[in-house]
Amino acid sequence: MKKKLGIATGAAMMIAAGVMANGQRDAILSGFAAEAGVSSFSVDAGRTLFLSQNTGGKEATPSCTSCHSNNPQAQGRTRVGKVIEPMAVSVNPERFTDPEKVEKWFRRNCTSVLGRECTAEEKGNFMAFMMSQ
Amino acid sequence: MPETGTPTIPVWDKFIRVFHWALVIGVSTAAVSGFLLRPTWINLHIWAGVTAAALLLARVLWGIWGSKNARFSGFVKGPHEVLTHVKELRKGKAARHLGHNPLGALMIIALLGTVFLLLLTGMAGLGGVFKTGPLGFVTDFSIGSFTLSVHYLLAIFLLVLVGLHIAGAVFEGLRTKENLVKSMVTGEKEARKGDHDVPEVSARPLWVIVIFGAFMGGLVWLWIFFSAVPSFGVPAPVPNPAYADECSACHMAYPPSLLPAKNWGSLMVALDDHFGEDASLGQAATDEITTWLFENAADSVDTKPAHVFSRTNPEAPLAITATPFWKNTHRNIPDAVFARPPIYDNGNCVACHSDAESGAFYPANISIPKETTP
Repeated sequence: MKKKLGIATGAAMMIAAGVMANGQRDAILSGFAAEAGVSSFSVDAGRTLFLSQNTGGKEATPSCTSCHSNNPQAQGRTRVGKVIEPMAVSVNPERFTDPEKVEKWFRRNCTSVLGRECTAEEKGNFMAFMMSQ
Repeated sequence: MPETGTPTIPVWDKFIRVFHWALVIGVSTAAVSGFLLRPTWINLHIWAGVTAAALLLARVLWGIWGSKNARFSGFVKGPHEVLTHVKELRKGKAARHLGHNPLGALMIIALLGTVFLLLLTGMAGLGGVFKTGPLGFVTDFSIGSFTLSVHYLLAIFLLVLVGLHIAGAVFEGLRTKENLVKSMVTGEKEARKGDHDVPEVSARPLWVIVIFGAFMGGLVWLWIFFSAVPSFGVPAPVPNPAYADECSACHMAYPPSLLPAKNWGSLMVALDDHFGEDASLGQAATDEITTWLFENAADSVDTKPAHVFSRTNPEAPLAITATPFWKNTHRNIPDAVFARPPIYDNGNCVACHSDAESGAFYPANISIPKETTP
């Protein structure tokens, strides 16, 4: 009985954490939507951005996939061999839950890959793609 | 058993013979590991050296209380007798010495003394340069690297002495028509008329064992005790959560002691173009990490990496892999080895130097991993 209760409590807590994480992601997404003046984001546009090869940024990082790999559900690797946890929310539910972190990494990595900061719409599309994965 | 029936007499006791060949093994191991093997064998070198030193201590005690041909008082002669022996040799009428002859005695003292000096300079080098061992707490890097140079010269000197010792044994063997190497195995020499002999004494093996045991116990205790004292010029690590969080998100946590504060300063104001990536941080994090790097930079650390990497490359003053020392010590490793998993990049020190994040980079902790599937 006690064990069952424990499992139930654990499951409830996990669901609660999941709901909270979803809430945090939704809040970040709505922020981007308001900034961009759009009502929804495009998963396809996010995928295209993720896979795109660019020349405007730094030489060593022409694409997001340079470090994150082509598969959002797989681990990536930095240029000096450090593991990057998967981007896909389905395998890494902590992704896109900390607004400060999200802003920091978009700011740096868009500059590295594109040579400019991303627009709020691009960030929203990217997030939508990763949430669909 | 000599087939001619010539009677033999015991000259070298069991201790002398075991000591001699054990020292041959110890010195050979130290020489091979020191001159020929990679630095990763440093621990074997240290053990060989320490073993040779322990043998030396036993030999000195046996030279005081041992059997007659082992005693220094029996074979160590003054300059007058050495010269007389040389003169007699040149005239071709020097008598045979059953134990060490006066020239051989000089060689024994030189060999033992050089091994002792090798021990001292080795310990000081180990302490000052590698910040380990019993002298690590008191020896700074400049003294350590100086004594290591002396250690190197003494090692060459010892090899020369060994060469002369062998030449002397061959010469004396030919001159007296006796296989002296065999004598050092069996302990026996032919009994001949007119040999120089030394007075009989009674050895005190138990006494020597007790004193040797007491000395070794004390020395091992001192070694362990002083090895545990924090090393000179190696401050206790001050972890910084912001550094660990921000900087090691992308790469190993390079210890601040690898670059001088000046270079860390240049690096931290240019994070927007950090080795080809934008790694810029907020002002608060930048300030906190910069302060911490300055406080723990190479300028205030006495390790070998702190010294050698402080000589940065003017063309790439922020890259440790561009320093002359780095390039020289890694020159035989092909680029492909750095590129393969699990290393990926020559900036990933910790892939091969397991203690890289401590800043120690001890040679025995180097191991190039086999290629893995990514």
